[in-house]
Amino acid sequence: MIAGLTKLERQLSLAVLTVLALCGLAFAAAGRNDPIGTHGFVILLSAVGLMFVVMAGYYAPEPDKERLSRYYDDPTKVGIILAMAWAVFGLFFGVWVAALLAWPDLTFDAAWSSFGRIRPVHTTSVIFGFGGNALIATSLHVLQRTTRARLPDQFSPWFVLLGYNLFCVLAVSGYFMGLTQSKEYAEPEWYADIWLVIVWVVYFLIYIRTLARRKEPHIYVANWYYMAFILVVAILHIVNNLAVPVSFGSAKSYSLFSGVQDAMTQWWYGHNAVAFFLTAGFLGMMYYYLPKRAGRPIFSYRLSIISFWGIVFMYMWAGSHHLHYTALPQWVQTLGMTFSVVLLVPSWASAGNALATLNGAWHKVRDDATLRFMMVAAVFYGLSTFEGSFMAIRAVNSLSHYTDWTVGHVHAGALGWVAMISFGSIYALVPWMWKRERMYSSRLVEVHFWLALSGTVVYVFAMWNSGIIQGLMWRTYNESGTLAYSFIDSLVAMHPYYIARTLGGLLFLLGAMVGCYNIWMTIRQPGTSLAAEGSEVDEPALATSTALQAGE
Amino acid sequence: MDLDYGTVVAFSKSWGLFYLIALAIGVLAYTFCPRNKKRFDRAKESILDKDDKPWK
Amino acid sequence: MPNFHRKLERSAIGFVLAIIVVASIGGFVEIAPLFTIDETVEKAPDMRVYTPLELAGRNIYLREGCYACHSQMIRTLRDEVERYGPYSLAVESQYDHPMLWGSKRTGPDLARVGGKYSDAWQVAHLRNPRDVVPVSVMPAYRWLEDNTLKTEDLGDHLLAMRRVGVPYTQAMIDNAPADAYGQATPDTDRAAGVSERYGEATNIRAFDGDPSRVTEMDALVAYLQILGKLTDVATAPAVAAKE
Repeated sequence: MIAGLTKLERQLSLAVLTVLALCGLAFAAAGRNDPIGTHGFVILLSAVGLMFVVMAGYYAPEPDKERLSRYYDDPTKVGIILAMAWAVFGLFFGVWVAALLAWPDLTFDAAWSSFGRIRPVHTTSVIFGFGGNALIATSLHVLQRTTRARLPDQFSPWFVLLGYNLFCVLAVSGYFMGLTQSKEYAEPEWYADIWLVIVWVVYFLIYIRTLARRKEPHIYVANWYYMAFILVVAILHIVNNLAVPVSFGSAKSYSLFSGVQDAMTQWWYGHNAVAFFLTAGFLGMMYYYLPKRAGRPIFSYRLSIISFWGIVFMYMWAGSHHLHYTALPQWVQTLGMTFSVVLLVPSWASAGNALATLNGAWHKVRDDATLRFMMVAAVFYGLSTFEGSFMAIRAVNSLSHYTDWTVGHVHAGALGWVAMISFGSIYALVPWMWKRERMYSSRLVEVHFWLALSGTVVYVFAMWNSGIIQGLMWRTYNESGTLAYSFIDSLVAMHPYYIARTLGGLLFLLGAMVGCYNIWMTIRQPGTSLAAEGSEVDEPALATSTALQAGE
Repeated sequence: MDLDYGTVVAFSKSWGLFYLIALAIGVLAYTFCPRNKKRFDRAKESILDKDDKPWK
Repeated sequence: MPNFHRKLERSAIGFVLAIIVVASIGGFVEIAPLFTIDETVEKAPDMRVYTPLELAGRNIYLREGCYACHSQMIRTLRDEVERYGPYSLAVESQYDHPMLWGSKRTGPDLARVGGKYSDAWQVAHLRNPRDVVPVSVMPAYRWLEDNTLKTEDLGDHLLAMRRVGVPYTQAMIDNAPADAYGQATPDTDRAAGVSERYGEATNIRAFDGDPSRVTEMDALVAYLQILGKLTDVATAPAVAAKE
């Protein structure tokens, strides 16, 4: 890997790692009596470890100029592996945290394993670890292919990928130690947040520099979504994490906002993290890999543009639907509700666009589990956006809020849409990246598909049931006009559903493990001579029969 | 002008609507402008091209 | 217009700006007015700040992720008001950096749990919830009793809170560690300083039942017992009548 870097880039890597190691050392020293000291050591060790890797390859000969006529895919390959590793880790903690609600003594009496600490471990690992790495890996691939330009340099993609994973490690290890800002999906403390901003700026610069070098005059729509993802996540992250640290040697900080302003800011962030992290980026994935795999152009390019601006514009207003009937002024609640409902239009336009693309290729969907992953993802995207708009209506929200229905809705989106489109894209991408004819076993892709689908369905149905029962029990009155059920009654009623959801999660985890094995075996199997020439053979008929294209 | 709560809310509510309409018109004009049709059609097909190396 | 848009898209920077502008406005319109207001946050002259011990307890509440299962926001719905008490007002979380309104009730709402149970109940419940509520699914927090509370940096915590707008006085900041100790050890001379600085109504007692040391259990129970009690604006008759 180091052999691919130029001498200058190797020196730059060492310089950056030295600075990082010094930062780690400073934190380790300043935070001797605080968890931040531990994190200082984590940073220091990561930096020093990577320095050894760079040193080991430092005296390898310079890469030849010929590399510039190829795309730079090494970071994408590593990103795919990291994404799958985070998926298994995060899903494992998801199963555990779900099991805790059915069997609360599974914490084994330790502090680090209590529900409140491992719940963010689960959410961060799957959203940022799995989702984030999948987004970075695929975006670097899509960006180069659609602009027909190589990444501007070989250092910054590594900085982004590894720096981002350092952020994830700091976040997750922090939760075990009890470090959290308590802002949902923005739990990491101030120093990790600052580090993410630096990483993110470099990520943005890769994008903008590659776009500036593009040979294709038009920017393909998938890149629009990836761009929106990068830009808006930056805005959200910076604003929501504004805080005053207690001291340089303390991990603890106090949020700049309080009370109602903090609630609005937090859910403006929270909802748009769903919109721009879990939707826009993955739509970018869908708009590239689905047509590519199906061998058919997207049904309507115009529709994809309209829905793009619709989503960018409207999602921003919708966050306040998380705060219905609270102390937030009512006009803000109403505004949030209205936009949430209107948001259904661009959302369904995207889902419909994806499904209509498959018209005429349904036989491929039947035979090819990879494409079926993407098809089912589009269906779940449509379902969960409908459900989301529905739940944003005040009257519905009065029932659904605070219950497992919300959890079910989130997982319909996260498992059914985000994870499915990622798995589909990764299965399409792995043979291309490692120059293999196809995945090691298409049977195992099939197995993964059915495990993932059945796991999602079991999970979502369990949570719908428990959520609605819970919501109804809380508001049921008996004949004498008093509340019919105590809170504990509703908790007891949840027990069977909590077991069912654990089972659903377990199926999904097993699927991801099958996927890891399959990807590992694909990488290990020898490349074919056909693939060695660099052509993409693991794709349906249309592309392999093309004549000479412009630029060849 | 006194920037109190009521003023800001009134401004947000009224101009927000105009902004929404203007944006919608802008996006629709761009999307359906006949001049862009060729570009979009090309973009749509372009990802299916063979793309094994960057263009010179 | 189409020409303009085409230029915008050709130069990637213009496109970037367009996304930022379009995406920012919604949030700005909704959030900015909230900072200009008197109406959003009602006046509560009797509102008091968290004592250092309560703040430390609140930080333990954050650390253990209690907010993941317990909300602190009673909505304006009849069944919630009957189950948990008068609905929450914005002013009640005025000094909450960050707020803990929550998003999920795996356990009940805690906005008004202060004073609802005895200290002994809270301690027993935190030690092992299933001892007092057999079907509870809450984790046991046995280590809270064993951990001595870290008090020496509480002055820095109060200072950071003052920087974000909470009206702590210099005396409060200077005496923070002593006040944290005093609030959980009623018979010492440090206890007197607490009621002097934070008001006569402040709970001063050995929350975990052991006045000889100040533990994390003391801090967390002190925090739980103040929930909903920082001001009585929501429970005052005038507001109740409006409902």
